[in-house]
Amino acid sequence: MIDYSKVDFSKILKRYDVEGQNEMTPESVAKAMLPKDPVLYKVAECVLYMKFKDVGPATAEALKTKDALDIINNGLVVGMECVAKLYAEHIYYLPEIMMAAKTMEIGIALAEKQIPGGRTTKGTVVMHAAEGDPHDIGKNIAAVMMRSSGYTVVDMGKDVAVDDVVAKVKEIKPFMVTGTALMTTTMTAFPRAAAKLVAAGINIPFMAAGGAVNRDFSESFDLGIYSEKAPQTPPIADKILEGYDWRKIREEWDHIVGE
Amino acid sequence: MAKYTKMAYGSAEEMVFGHAKEPVSYGFGIKVGAGRVIPELNYGPRPGSEATPEKLRKEYVDYISKDVLNRCVTLGFPDVQLETEWISQMGDPKMATPVVEGQKAICEKYYEEYGLNCAVRQTIPDQREAEEGYRPGMGGKHSYPEHLFQCAEVACENGADVLSCETLGGKELGDYATTNGDIVAFLFGIGYLGSIDMEYVWKQFVDIAKKNKVIAGGDTNCSGANTSMFMAGGMLDQDVQRTYSAVTRAISAARTLVAWEQGASGPDKDCGYEGPICKAIAGKPCAQEGKNCQCAHADLQGNLMAQVCDLWSNESIEYHPEFGGTSVQCWMGSLGYEVALMNTAIQTGKQKDLRDLYMITDRERGPEGHILAYDNAYKIGEAIVSEGNNYYLRAKAAGLTAAKLIKDHNDSKELQLTRKQREVLDSIIKDLEALPDDEDKFFEYCCKKYADVPNFNLKNYGL
Repeated sequence: MIDYSKVDFSKILKRYDVEGQNEMTPESVAKAMLPKDPVLYKVAECVLYMKFKDVGPATAEALKTKDALDIINNGLVVGMECVAKLYAEHIYYLPEIMMAAKTMEIGIALAEKQIPGGRTTKGTVVMHAAEGDPHDIGKNIAAVMMRSSGYTVVDMGKDVAVDDVVAKVKEIKPFMVTGTALMTTTMTAFPRAAAKLVAAGINIPFMAAGGAVNRDFSESFDLGIYSEKAPQTPPIADKILEGYDWRKIREEWDHIVGE
Repeated sequence: MAKYTKMAYGSAEEMVFGHAKEPVSYGFGIKVGAGRVIPELNYGPRPGSEATPEKLRKEYVDYISKDVLNRCVTLGFPDVQLETEWISQMGDPKMATPVVEGQKAICEKYYEEYGLNCAVRQTIPDQREAEEGYRPGMGGKHSYPEHLFQCAEVACENGADVLSCETLGGKELGDYATTNGDIVAFLFGIGYLGSIDMEYVWKQFVDIAKKNKVIAGGDTNCSGANTSMFMAGGMLDQDVQRTYSAVTRAISAARTLVAWEQGASGPDKDCGYEGPICKAIAGKPCAQEGKNCQCAHADLQGNLMAQVCDLWSNESIEYHPEFGGTSVQCWMGSLGYEVALMNTAIQTGKQKDLRDLYMITDRERGPEGHILAYDNAYKIGEAIVSEGNNYYLRAKAAGLTAAKLIKDHNDSKELQLTRKQREVLDSIIKDLEALPDDEDKFFEYCCKKYADVPNFNLKNYGL
């Protein structure tokens, strides 16, 4: 082997990851965000540090003195918002998001039992991976992020036929439907499904995403909007709930995902 | 079938691109691992071409294949291998057969007319879904396991030169592992159950290939280790830590190797970045990709991956126009000239110098490339063969060896890591070291721990 002991690797490559790593800690970021109320703090802290064994007892304890909705919105959800902030700051990464979301859902399930008629979420979205496409990891991550942001997700899984998607949308009446595809030949299912929705008089945004999909394709058919990465899905959904239709989402897409 | 319990190469130093211990000949004049590197061009048809069998045939044969072969002649390249990764619609023999037949015919035409050495690798799609069952007879509504073996028959009966597949065994646990950062789940899903699935699938693929006098090439852990590598992404992405990704790559080598143990002869698949480890163990030719596959992947070991390759690939490019011709022609040029450089190095006796230059440029770029540098890949290979007869122990040994190599080289300041990368690495070492040495205990532990992972079903593995 050639002797490379004298090689100055800084002349060959630059480790942007090492040089740019964030010095902040979860504690320093969360300090300003976590609730001041000690009972809610304890619940939020369970989510922040992914203590899924502790969140049940902490939620049960909180239910003795607090309203269930208060615990969800000002405890569990606030904990998850801290996690999202840490993720955005590159202090937390995907595994922390997944574990924190699981922790939050345990707490929410417990608190929800105390709410007559169940909890009202921000809205319902139908999600699927395209027919013929066995790859759904991106859809699964986006689904977790949507649930963590207060949405109800109807997850149809992978390899879902166009007609099944259309039927589910007719049945559930979501405010948005999403599809992911890793292959250029499976993503063609999206315009076909969107056309059938249009023909049925359904005018909701159809988010087309996944490794094979690009913005040009997503915006090449009526209803189509784009999401490049899973974390972009909740902010786009928020705008739809504010009243943006698929045309306005397209117009302001850069601004929405850049927020 | 016998498992590998010793290394094909006496030392890492013996390994170099273009030479394999067990070269393979097929197609029209193609000899892989026999003293020169062969470019392998892979492509995807345009959306809409899957509408009818005739449209699809035309796209693959009259446009894509013809363009590639023409560009080889235009630029004076002596060899090329085409790779058709079947789109899902080709699960229907009416769609697949004209493509396979047509590609064989056009290769023959260029070989006879110009003397261009050429062959086609037909990579059939594994559409099996864990929820429907991985094995025939499990009653899934799509009958995907039945279709998998039917595809192998269709490919081999109609003109494939090499049969390959990117099998999905263990994916349900692999996806869970990677999104949750759980290396033990990856070891169980990919290293253990994935190997069992590979044994089952490749035994049959090899039989089908032999029956039709076709080369059974090999597999890749694209669905596992590449998933973690692409989620780890570039310098500033890291949804998954690159130390985790590097260890999953080492584990995946123990799985990919199974195709060769079942009688496949190589070349394995280009996107199996675990190729240097597998080649060190088995001495069979491997296809790799890196710097000339930027049309599909931006990985952090673009030069390094060329170090010991026998085929050099672009991974995949959608067919479309570019300024320099069609996309497949442009990437054929890119591949062909890189391969010409490698073959010039061989002809001038400088192949080991070029191998080392390729390797050194990316050795410190990150942990994923670091463990694949041929000297480190060889050490991981030794760890695998030291436990060669046991799927669990050898996959664990591969992961642990890779993790400790990274740790040692970070400690010695040879390889930089972020604090988070190191934190995850230390946790991986702790988790792997805590596992039992007994396969049954490991199995029992994992079955209990991962019982609630969606779609995890032991029946998929005949267990």
